[in-house]
Order: sequence, then structure tokens, then C-alpha cells
Amino acid sequence: MEILATFFNVGLVVATIRTTTPILLVALGGSFTTKAGIFNIGLEGQMLIAAFFAVIGSIWTGSSFGGLLIGVAAALAFALVYAVLVVSFRANEVVVGLALNILAGGMTISLMKAIFGTRGSVVGRGIVGLPKVQLPGARDILGPSYAQLISGYTPLVYVAFLSVPLLVLFYARTRLGLYLRVVGEKPEAAETLGISIARVRYIASLLCGLFAGLAGAHMSLGYITMFTENMSSGRGFMAVAILIFSAGDPLKVLLGCLLFGFADAFSLRLQILNFPSYLILAVPYAVALLALFALSWRTRPKLIRETLETMRNALAEKPQDSGGKLPADNRP
Amino acid sequence: MISSLLPRNLRRTLAGQLLALAIALALGAVVILMIDENPLRVFATLMRGAFGDSEKIAGTLLQTTPILICGVAACIGLRGGMFNVGIEGQLFLGGFAAAWVGFSFALPPVLHVLVAVAAAVAAGAAWVSVPAYFRVRFGANEVVSTILANYVAVLLTSYFTIFLFKRPGGWSETPPILPSAYLPELFSFSRLNIGLLIGLALAVATALFFRFTTTGYAVTMVGSAPKFADYGGINVRRAGFGVLLASGAVGGLAGGVETLGVHHRFMEGFAPGFGFDGLIAALLANGSPIGTIFTALFFGALRAGSLLLEVDTTASREIITVIQALIILAVSADLLLRRKGDRTGGRRWKF
Repeated sequence: MEILATFFNVGLVVATIRTTTPILLVALGGSFTTKAGIFNIGLEGQMLIAAFFAVIGSIWTGSSFGGLLIGVAAALAFALVYAVLVVSFRANEVVVGLALNILAGGMTISLMKAIFGTRGSVVGRGIVGLPKVQLPGARDILGPSYAQLISGYTPLVYVAFLSVPLLVLFYARTRLGLYLRVVGEKPEAAETLGISIARVRYIASLLCGLFAGLAGAHMSLGYITMFTENMSSGRGFMAVAILIFSAGDPLKVLLGCLLFGFADAFSLRLQILNFPSYLILAVPYAVALLALFALSWRTRPKLIRETLETMRNALAEKPQDSGGKLPADNRP
Repeated sequence: MISSLLPRNLRRTLAGQLLALAIALALGAVVILMIDENPLRVFATLMRGAFGDSEKIAGTLLQTTPILICGVAACIGLRGGMFNVGIEGQLFLGGFAAAWVGFSFALPPVLHVLVAVAAAVAAGAAWVSVPAYFRVRFGANEVVSTILANYVAVLLTSYFTIFLFKRPGGWSETPPILPSAYLPELFSFSRLNIGLLIGLALAVATALFFRFTTTGYAVTMVGSAPKFADYGGINVRRAGFGVLLASGAVGGLAGGVETLGVHHRFMEGFAPGFGFDGLIAALLANGSPIGTIFTALFFGALRAGSLLLEVDTTASREIITVIQALIILAVSADLLLRRKGDRTGGRRWKF
């Protein structure tokens, strides 16, 4: 029981919320492109470049907000290149996404060497982290040990979790949200209605860049204020996995992200028990893979589902049919 | 004239790729200016590092070998309409499997190499088999699943190396493999080995397979027109599974060649990025195995040259990954193609 108590406590919930935030932000960004019918594998690179430029920006401007803005601008630039190539030039989205990820990796390392003269990571040097928001009254209502559940996070944590209901409303109740869904689900219908598919997809891609930029800034200016080579370490790809089985639905995205946030936070705690760190580090990726495989089974293409259903019906009816017909057939 | 010797399609493709290359190099020059270096000096250093003398040329070919084999693996996938982005992971597991056979068993010379290579091939195929199964059976996106599998593969091999098979007193590496499992070297002055010849033979064999065999044609059809292939009576799922398995097997082979021929042990992070470089080389070659020989040589030269870049200039060697990414972006735009109507998002899938 004591072991259980060291694992499952308020701290784990708080850690889950923290680790969920970047992946939730980037996945919500990806939900725009997913809804608009673009398979965006370039989230990873947008996040990484934003994380790097957020660090640069916070050093240049001396404020975390300046860092946030410059990081988001970098991610938007990547999103724009992605949109130009995929929407206007109709390039293969997987190829462009992968190339932009590789570009982000190479560019951050090259610029880090050129600007800071180091390899590996940038620490200190006047990086200003995001402030922690202390909600007034949280301590009085929930008491000192539970106040940390809702208070004391960086602003982006609140932005991420509040964005979920906002996005639900956005898709259900706004014109742009409707356009996004039409363009993704029935481009022909959108064309007939006179909606500019290219413009909607540009908007989706840029909104995606905005959220990926926030996610990147949260990685390098949130709870750790540093930049490390390839520090996004596959979170963008996990977000894509979530997007595949959630189809971009904000609530399902939230559930998926909480699962990964929990896997992340839990695996960090496993280190207390002296599990080999390499296997622990692999846990979130393995969870992502398992979820992808398990849920792909459920969301099989409609055709296969229908075929299976008819087969099952046929099998279920067979005994009755044969029971009724056999005597008749045997009576020549 | 050359123009009359080459078929029109190939001419258009070549012209398009060369234009893309020129644009990418121009953009690369801008990036190099951004990091306060002289682009001409960087390109000259890259050339010198790649082709300066016979040792450097051998170094270039040494870097070309894994890129070429990974490139062939990617070509097989692309032809069958499968994006195997997991070549990196298959390379790591193949490399570890070959090393394990190399240091754990004592076998007669030639047999030892064959068994180790077979282990590498089997490991690569086994690693891709799960994503491949879920891809063809339930349509689980193979791009994402193989990318995620990469991370697991790298961490898993690190775990094997450091926790289970660490060489006593050494860094994060396994014990060296026995000399009987070494791939024969080609020259005395370099670690260049017959892996290069294996890669070349593989590329040619793959090209011939797709050009002249019924199965090869069937796979190409599955990749380019799955509905037509299905209508023609080809089992699309089995073909897709086979394509991914073959691609993974070749990816594993690349890792085996790298450990048996170059490092003679498995080290943590022994072949960073070769899988991705191979995929990029295959994309630049438009999925053609013969074309991949040349693009792999180009990327091998960039890699070999980047080693000198780190010594002679202040630029970091990752600048070459920037150049590679720019090349792919420029190629993907396919600037020479005239785009017609159909704005409803019917996207060109190049392969």
C-alpha cells in the first residue's frame, strides 16, 4: 500500500497535467488540419523550431512573452511553408512533413552552434521562463495540499485545457468551423458551395502552426527553461497518432493526450523503483503504438465493417434456414 | 544529342530534379549566410572532404553504403505504396542482431558472416511485421506507427547494449564481434568493405525485379493503382504486407552490414540518421533503385564532407541535413509540373 501511495497521489495528477499540456496543445493544433483533411506529420518540426526560437526570443527580448511570440512566429513560418507546398503545389503531405521535421532538427542544431557555440543544449544565458499563475482563493477553498491541482501552472496549461471546450464550440457553432469540416469531409460539396478550399486549408494550417508554436514554447520555457537537441522527442508524432484515432475531435483528443500525459508522468515515477531508464523512456512510445493498433481495429474502414456484419448475419441465420429447408429438400 | 537519347519522361524528371537541386542549394546558401559562414567556402570544404584524396573518396563510399541499402529498402516500400519511415529502427535492430551473432557464437568464417547477416535481415523484417500487419489488416497508418517504432527500437537496443551485453570497462558498446564475422575489406587504407558491392547488387536486383518479373509488376500496380490491382485479381493486402516485410528486411541488412563491416561491435547510436538519409535518397530518386545509387552517393559525399566541415569551419555538420531537407522540399513542389483544375484536394501521390 505504501508503494501505491507513493505512486498515486496528488503529485501524480499534477505531473500528468504538466506533461499533458505540450502534447495537448500540439494535438489540438493538428485537429484543425485533420478536420480540414490534411494529414499533417510536420507537427514535430513546428514544435521543435518554436521551442528553439522561444528560447532565442526570451534571451533577446528579456521577457518570456517576447520569447513566446517569436517561437510562435517561427512555427507559423513553418506552417506557411507547409501550406504553400501541400495546398498550392499539391506536394505529397507526408514527404513535405517529414522534410520539414528534418529541416527543423538540422536548423536548430546548426543555429545553436552558430549563436551559442555549443552542442547539445542551451541552459541559463538569461532565458526567462513563463510565469506561474497563482489563482487567488485556490488555497482557501481546496486547502494547501490540493490547491496545486488548479493553481500554480504556467498560463499555457490553462490555455491548453480551456481550448478544448472552445474548440468543441468552434467546430459545432461557427462558420469557419463548419467550413473546415466540410472541406475535410466532402471537398466536392465545399467546392459547390463556393468555399475556397485552398483558403480554408491555409487557415487550418496556420491555426495548427499557432498551437504547435505554443506547445513548443511551453516545452522550452515552461517547467524547464532550456533547449536540447531534438527536445520534442516524438511528441509531435504521438499527437499525430492521437489525431488518427480521434479524427480531430477535441474531446477525444483530450482523452488521448491525458493517456499519454499519464504514461509520461507514470514512467518518470517508475524510475524510483530502479527500472532500467531506457525501457521507461520507451513506455510513452509503446503506449502510443498500442493505442494506434488497438483503436485502428475499431475504426476499420466502413466497407470491412459492413462486410463483416453481413457475414455475421449470414452465419447467424444459417442454422435457422437449414433447419427449415433441409427436410423440404430431402423430400424428393 | 543527349535529349534524343533519353525518353521524354525521364528527361522531364531529371530536369525537374536538377532545378529543385539548384533552388535547394541556393536556399542552403542563404541558411549558411545566416550562421555567418561563407557558402562557397562551405561547399568547397564539403567537396574537399568528400573527394579530396583516395582515402576521402573511400570515406565517401563508406558513408554511401548504409544510405544506399536503406535507400533500396525505401524504394521497395515506395513502389508498393508504403511509406516505411521505420528503416532507422530496423537498421538498429538489424545491427544489434548481427553483432549479437557476431560475438556470442563461434562459427567457421564464411558461415558466421552468413548467419549474422541472416539474423540482421530477420530482425529487420520482424520489427516491421507488427506495423505491417496492422496496416494491411486494419489500415493503421504505417507512417506514424513505424516512426513511433523507431523510438522504441533505439531505446530497446540501448537497453540491450548497456544493461545486458555491455563490454566490461567499455563505453556503451557490446563486446567486439569475432574476426570470423568481419565483412572482407576492399582496400587496405579504409574500412570500406564488400557491403558497398552488396548494396549495388541489391539496387540492380531490385530494379530488375520491378522491371522484369510478374510479382514486381503486381507490386508496382498495388502501389500506383490499388483498385486496378485488386480488380486484376492481385491480393492487395498480401502484396502490401510482403512489400513492408521486404523493406524491413533490407533495412535490417543495412544495420548488419554496418556492424559487421565498419564498427565490428554494436554501439549506442552507431548509425545516426542513415535510415532517414536512405528514405530521402529514395525520394530524390523518385523511387528508382538505380537512381538511388547516385542520390545515395551524393548524400554519402555530403556526410563525408561534413566531417571536414566541423574541423575547418565554424559551421556544424548538421548543416547538411538542412541542405538535404531543402532539396526534398524543392523536389516535392515539382516545379515543372503544370497544375490543372481539380482543386478539391485530389493530391498528386508521386509514387
